Amino acid sequence: MRQRQGLIALAFLAPALVCLAVLRIVPAISAVVESFYTESLLRGGRVFAGLGNYTDLLSNKDFRQSVGVTLLFTVLVNPIQVAVSFLLAVLFTQRAAGAKLWRTLVILPIATPPAVSAVIWSVIYRPDGLANGVLERLGLPAQPFLTSPSQVLPSLIVLLSWIGVGYWMLFLIAGIQEVPEEVREAALLDGAGPWRRMISVVLPLVRRPLAFVLVADTVSNLLVFAPVQILTKGGPNGNSNLLMYDVYSRAYAIGDIHVAQAEVVILVALTLAIVAAQFRLLRGDQ
Amino acid sequence: MKRISLSVLGGAVGILFFLPLLWVVTNSLRPGSETFANLSPLSWQTFLELRPTLTNYSALLNSPIGRATLNSILVSAATVVIGLAVCATAAFGLAAFQFRGRGLVFGIVVLSFLVPFDAIAIPLSTMFRDWQLTNTFAGLVLPGIGNGMAIFLLRQFFLGIPAELVEAGRLDGLGWFGVFRWIYLPLSKPALIGAGLMLFLFQWQAYVWPLLIGTDANHILGPVALSNLQGQNFTDYGLVFAGAVVLTVIPLVVIAGFQRYFVQSVSSTGLK
Repeated sequence: MRQRQGLIALAFLAPALVCLAVLRIVPAISAVVESFYTESLLRGGRVFAGLGNYTDLLSNKDFRQSVGVTLLFTVLVNPIQVAVSFLLAVLFTQRAAGAKLWRTLVILPIATPPAVSAVIWSVIYRPDGLANGVLERLGLPAQPFLTSPSQVLPSLIVLLSWIGVGYWMLFLIAGIQEVPEEVREAALLDGAGPWRRMISVVLPLVRRPLAFVLVADTVSNLLVFAPVQILTKGGPNGNSNLLMYDVYSRAYAIGDIHVAQAEVVILVALTLAIVAAQFRLLRGDQ
Repeated sequence: MKRISLSVLGGAVGILFFLPLLWVVTNSLRPGSETFANLSPLSWQTFLELRPTLTNYSALLNSPIGRATLNSILVSAATVVIGLAVCATAAFGLAAFQFRGRGLVFGIVVLSFLVPFDAIAIPLSTMFRDWQLTNTFAGLVLPGIGNGMAIFLLRQFFLGIPAELVEAGRLDGLGWFGVFRWIYLPLSKPALIGAGLMLFLFQWQAYVWPLLIGTDANHILGPVALSNLQGQNFTDYGLVFAGAVVLTVIPLVVIAGFQRYFVQSVSSTGLK
């Protein structure tokens, strides 16, 4: 009976299992396998290279810079986005006139595909674009934004936060609304100020959605590609050359597919390691 | 007093987020030659156009973006229909049956969404090239249909369907596919819509994959076509902005139409 059930279940599961295996798991395994091979010019076809592709990468200056830029970007963008999403979630769950409308305006950019947002911001950041128009209005000098080595990452962070903050805020709003009204009101009657109330009452109660947002946001920021490819091509001088773009240009511009596969493996490993570490940390102080 | 200051603060934040989009909409309604005309100094005309024209939108119809937008619609619709069929049957298989290896199968589903798709897009595109799937609609649709997250979401919902209903259906002579079709599916509309939205947005927002796999004129998707246009030397920004508006409004209408389910699916992925 149970065995029969298993066969029927398998029939229902088969199409999805084939898809997941072929389209997700096999390419991941193939990246690992291919990363140990290299193209042989002498014999034609591929030959086993051991860790050769990895040592090539590690000794490559551009790759090392790309890792550094990606880590710096990760350390900056995630705390900023999580903190802003949380503050906005608190703001938009207060009872105030128009809160629903203002919240909707913050969420709107979710609908814009990331690549389209990148195109929009490429016009905003032009020397004669909207950003400098606003600065001029405020009496501030024009800025180079994307062509300045020091401003390029902050400019990308602003654009990515415009895209992402509203989305992450939705999870936190859902979390805050799960906090019973009485708990929030009790804190108010206790005479706790709004700041204290937020830190000591709301924050611990939204730990789970907050942890989820931190992990999911970190993963999505490790995979940022469209804005780099559309706005900066990794420049100026590699200062916005995030790993995902480095993989892409290594595979297609440089044409070294095996080394690119090794870099994919490193990127996935880095992603999984950071996610695991965050889960550990968040569970640790419970 | 406190409420008023909260509204003002909320309003300021909301408008700040909205300004770039408003600027895009406004400029889509004026000739491309005027895009940068109202920026120095900034004035209310920067964000409002009193004599709007639809020429950019009619030009869009005959530009590569028009065709690309249609391709995006086609690819996303196919992904939702096929993807829902694949994911819902799988979720049913996981939720309705007890069998050995169920834990393992569930593990594969979870593993498949822990490995981010964009990261494996490059190895997968090498495989697709060998299989001659570059510049085909099949090549564009396929990666979207097996969505581990959608399976997970549907399974969670299916687990809540009472076993007595299934037994009653079986006694009435329904086969397992009948149970799935006539008991599970009709009871799961919210979860199906949530999963459908997930599949749709995955495909509509995709960039890395369509850039790798479909760039000829007949298969190019909206976001890729728009970024190509932006990269040219003499860009008509009126056209670019009209394209950006269309590519944003379509998912916006879909999300707004299913708003309730969107928020539900978002919060259930976050909390479970």
